[in-house]
Amino acid sequence: MTKSKTLTGGALLFEVLQEHGVHHVFGYPGGAIMPIYDALYDSDVKHFLCRHEQGAAFSAVGYARAAGTVGVCLATSGPGATNLITGLADALADSIPVVAITGQVPMAAMGSDAFQEIDIFGLSLACTKHSFQVTDINELEKVLHQAFEIALEGRHGPVLVDIPKDIQLAEVTQRLDKLSHLKNKVKLPLADISKALDLLTHAKQPILYVGGGVGMANAVEEVRDFADKTGMPSVSTLKGLGAINPDNENHLGMLGMHGTKTANLAVQESDLLVVVGARFDDRVTGKLDEFAPNAKVIHFDIDTAEINKRRDADAAILGDLKGNLPLLTTELDIADWQQKLQQMNTDFAWRYDHPGDNIFAPAVLKTVSDLMPSNTCVTTDVGQHQMWAAQHMTFDDPSNFLTSGGMGTMGFGLPAAIGAQISRPHDTVIAVSGDGSIMMNVQELATIKRYQIPVKVVLIDNAKLGMVRQWQDLFFEGRLSETDLSDNPDFVMLAKAFDIKSQLITKKSEVKAAVEEMLDHDGPYLLQVKIDAAENVWPLVPPNTANDKMMESV
Amino acid sequence: MSAMTLNKYQLIIMADDKQVVLERILQVTRYRGFLINGMNAEVNTGNNVATITMSVSSERPISLLIDQINKLIDIKGVKVDNSDVQIKQHSA
Ligand SMILES: Cc1ncc(C[n+]2csc(CCOP(=O)(O)OP(=O)(O)O)c2C)c(N)n1
Ligand SMILES: [Mg+2]
Repeated sequence: MTKSKTLTGGALLFEVLQEHGVHHVFGYPGGAIMPIYDALYDSDVKHFLCRHEQGAAFSAVGYARAAGTVGVCLATSGPGATNLITGLADALADSIPVVAITGQVPMAAMGSDAFQEIDIFGLSLACTKHSFQVTDINELEKVLHQAFEIALEGRHGPVLVDIPKDIQLAEVTQRLDKLSHLKNKVKLPLADISKALDLLTHAKQPILYVGGGVGMANAVEEVRDFADKTGMPSVSTLKGLGAINPDNENHLGMLGMHGTKTANLAVQESDLLVVVGARFDDRVTGKLDEFAPNAKVIHFDIDTAEINKRRDADAAILGDLKGNLPLLTTELDIADWQQKLQQMNTDFAWRYDHPGDNIFAPAVLKTVSDLMPSNTCVTTDVGQHQMWAAQHMTFDDPSNFLTSGGMGTMGFGLPAAIGAQISRPHDTVIAVSGDGSIMMNVQELATIKRYQIPVKVVLIDNAKLGMVRQWQDLFFEGRLSETDLSDNPDFVMLAKAFDIKSQLITKKSEVKAAVEEMLDHDGPYLLQVKIDAAENVWPLVPPNTANDKMMESV
Repeated sequence: MSAMTLNKYQLIIMADDKQVVLERILQVTRYRGFLINGMNAEVNTGNNVATITMSVSSERPISLLIDQINKLIDIKGVKVDNSDVQIKQHSA
């Protein structure tokens, strides 16, 4: 069956986007994508003009992560396309479903070093899950459907579709009868369930190690249920935060380089790790050979390639966590272990009694966390403020804490918050940023201004590239090379230039009222929080060191 | 001088016959730490199936590369032909 109406490739793009439930896209126009922007003009899809393609990519990431759907971004050929790359790399590292559409020079000009021609298809190989270059108008519809399917199939990831200008202009004569479906590769079923049950029932000191895969598998409920019924103490990775119910008394917090003392010591002592949607990242394990040295491993993952990649599994359970984890649910006799760790949780609880009048960043973030409405979505940038947010804020779902985990990309926070706010207009969205990071996508304040996006920015200002400064102090003999930012712009004035309400606070006594004012404000707000430049993030497991050898101060 | 053991493997890869498929395989193989010692590719044959045989060596287990190649969307399947042929190589 063919539908009678003919349309261009550009118009077809928006039809397919709508078939996939996409109502919002982020992008930036240019020569080689003009036919698509021309089609956009007549489309019901709402486009947000970001002020840099990297901003568009991160907004698509934030949109996808906050709403659990696919984020879409558009860019022109050449520099527009290359500006997307950091966002795509970030999405690949954190397994985020994003579809990026790039314009390309016309086919006849391809391969001639034409104006604004770059081989984005070639560049995409290392920073996307998959990519396409469409060279036949009759392939376009199928490719676009496949792009969505691939972004969401199995382990999520970014997909790029490069569309030459003449394909955008070409008339579509044939429509697909129905959506195409990927041939699923036949994989060997890998499910050592009985072995896993055996390991579990014999464990005396088991730990549930929760990663970002839990949220992406939509298995928060199953993991909470498992944690409740087994009573197993749990630890979370940076991306796993929010998966375990915040009230769970057996949750020990984040593990790894800046993890809690209890979480790291517990993992080191454990005799069994039940790993759900996590991948033994080096920021989690510290020195790999000495990570959880006495633990057997039960590894749940959707990606075969993660099994035995960095740590061998004694039992591997491949596939959908949502269906698989309940198979392992059983009651455990681990009261002594639970009690011991609960005691450690109490003994090593965070302390906020910081001397002096200066603002203590952990305490500010704790205050924001305590005062923010339920279901607030928090994004962060990268650095000390990111780790403080992870340590001192509480999230009731993984989709409420968006941070650049795998890539650690400064500049993530502001555009990701924009995307999150657009996908969830009724929830509060807060970007916790640093004075270094905010400048990496500061142009997105213009996006906030244009669309009056009510994002709240908490800017932790230490006038430093603080995390690098901390490492220079600890591991490079205090040789502070290029980490001073004491000539930062006046952030309050900067916000004002974008009609964003703003305030600077410098004293502890101002914190509560300022946070309340920010949260009560209807529109966008920037709260600049001046902190002591010398503050460090503790605890810290030094690089290539076992996680029980953490530093707790200097 | 430290001795590292390089294992040599022969892989047979079946893929959708797309122009980019060789590039994808090369990129993943290099990135995951495998040296390519030789390659034979029958691609762009017009029958939708590309067959690539490749001999690689690495200190790393071959399962690591197989899993990653298998993850490529265009790949239909990967087989190891002769496993465990060991060669020794010295590195500074
Ligand atoms: C794009 C990018 N460039 C460089 C880095 C390295 N880096 C990690 S943290 C950091 C400092 C961040 O400074 P700021 O945003 O002020 O955060 P702070 O650590 O001071 O809280 C730098 C430069 C990075 N993560 N991302
Ligand atoms: Mg800073």
